[in-house]
Amino acid sequence: MQISTGGATHVGMVRTNNEDSYRIISPLNLYVLADGMGGEAHGEVASALAVETVVKHCVEGEENPSAALLDEPNPGLNPKSQRLLSAIRLANQKVFQSAQEHSEQQGMGATLTAAWIDGMQLSVGHVGDSRLYLLRTGQLQQLTSDHSLVAEQVRRGILSASEAEQSNLQSVLLRALGTQSEVEVDIEQVPLFPGDVLLLCSDGLTRMVTEPEIAGTLQAEPNPQRAAEKLIEHANEGGGIDNVSVIVVSLRPEEKGWFSWLRRGAPKSAGGNGSAGGQ
Amino acid sequence: MAKLSLMFEEKMVKEVPVGSRPVRIGRSPDNDLVVDNLAVSNDHARVYFDSGRLVVEDRGSLNGTFVNDLRVERATLHDGDSIWIGKHHIKVDATGDAPLPYESGRKTTAGSINETMVLDTKVRRDMLQQAAALGERTQFASGRIKVPTIVVLSGKTDSKEYTLTNKLTTIGKSAMATIKLRGWFKPQMAAQINQRDDGYYIGSGDKVPVVNGVSIPGPTKLDDGDLVEVSGVRLNFIVRE
Repeated sequence: MQISTGGATHVGMVRTNNEDSYRIISPLNLYVLADGMGGEAHGEVASALAVETVVKHCVEGEENPSAALLDEPNPGLNPKSQRLLSAIRLANQKVFQSAQEHSEQQGMGATLTAAWIDGMQLSVGHVGDSRLYLLRTGQLQQLTSDHSLVAEQVRRGILSASEAEQSNLQSVLLRALGTQSEVEVDIEQVPLFPGDVLLLCSDGLTRMVTEPEIAGTLQAEPNPQRAAEKLIEHANEGGGIDNVSVIVVSLRPEEKGWFSWLRRGAPKSAGGNGSAGGQ
Repeated sequence: MAKLSLMFEEKMVKEVPVGSRPVRIGRSPDNDLVVDNLAVSNDHARVYFDSGRLVVEDRGSLNGTFVNDLRVERATLHDGDSIWIGKHHIKVDATGDAPLPYESGRKTTAGSINETMVLDTKVRRDMLQQAAALGERTQFASGRIKVPTIVVLSGKTDSKEYTLTNKLTTIGKSAMATIKLRGWFKPQMAAQINQRDDGYYIGSGDKVPVVNGVSIPGPTKLDDGDLVEVSGVRLNFIVRE
């Protein structure tokens, strides 16, 4: 499988600081995105600390698979999922501790969505209302559940999906990193297939751009970096009321034979490292 | 002029004056003060002037209306009182007791919370449990545990029944598929079922599934009892309680 990635972030058209953070760790095929919250610049602190902690814990686990996990191993989870769960719970502790130790950071927190590809298996770790989508056979499918009040109301049959979109309580979260000493983390394991495209995004994208528009953009632009930039443009054209960050990961079958040999010369799209608000 | 301020935590969500018309408080969007919270009834309470006194009246709400920690059906209000509804409270400012003349055409737009905030999970759990214990079956009907299940009616699969527990369930020959198809010429990924907030949606993979005899045009919501045919396998979607 050939994996190429793109990432972009933007402060948006209304806010003055960007509280999102993201990292693309190409050697590990690990992708992490967080949306911070909290007054002043503390949302930035929270999202950066959360992303940093998750990446570090996963890298340590790669270098030393017997490195300590936060929990007893869960037999239902593969090693990557296990590590990711541990990493996100650790990130929760770090953000929570930091907020406890620095009174000015009180109330800060972050959403966090992480995707880790191992062969044809995807591990997803998630807390909050950032999202992971899978575009497959032209269908955009959300692989995370929003931990927001309105989404919970839809799941309980109290609100319809369209009523939820109209709600003025969309920003009320039921779970986030760093607001309590312990957090429940969603973990999903999903098989991947050649041609799949993954999208990690903060709610600054999904509040401004509809799912059909997102699917259309990803299908029209096969280059992940350009697709990421296009999505940001669309969010800002739609009003850009919030910071917006996206990571696009594209999986293509390995090319074999003389055809791929001919194409070797083509420039590879850049992976890399990105963080909002300086790093 | 008397006014009511809807507060969440220590933040003000919305402020309304009390005029000659009652201020309606509840969860449905046509209220003057909309409290979008599971613990709040659609038509929860009203505040109005009665012979020069500001009065709160509970409208038979499930979880009750509290004035300064005391559950009330009806109570007079005083300057500085707090009306508690779920996790929200309404501060009463009765400094001007005389009612305002009703202003026709006044547009009351719903307050909006733009800053992201987190509800304490313990508070939320208590709130939901309390509501469930009181047994408002209509509002919390889906609070009962429902288990979405795929039962195999015919065709070769690795199991006869599957509980849908993941966000994405894949149907195909792939070793990693949840519902594994057996036999030659079966596609790696025939179809997929995505769990969304409002239900389970089946979408095509290498094949277009047929639901209740009709080829689906795109991702299609599955209802209890639906028959799905894909790649020579017949499946029944059942929601068990």
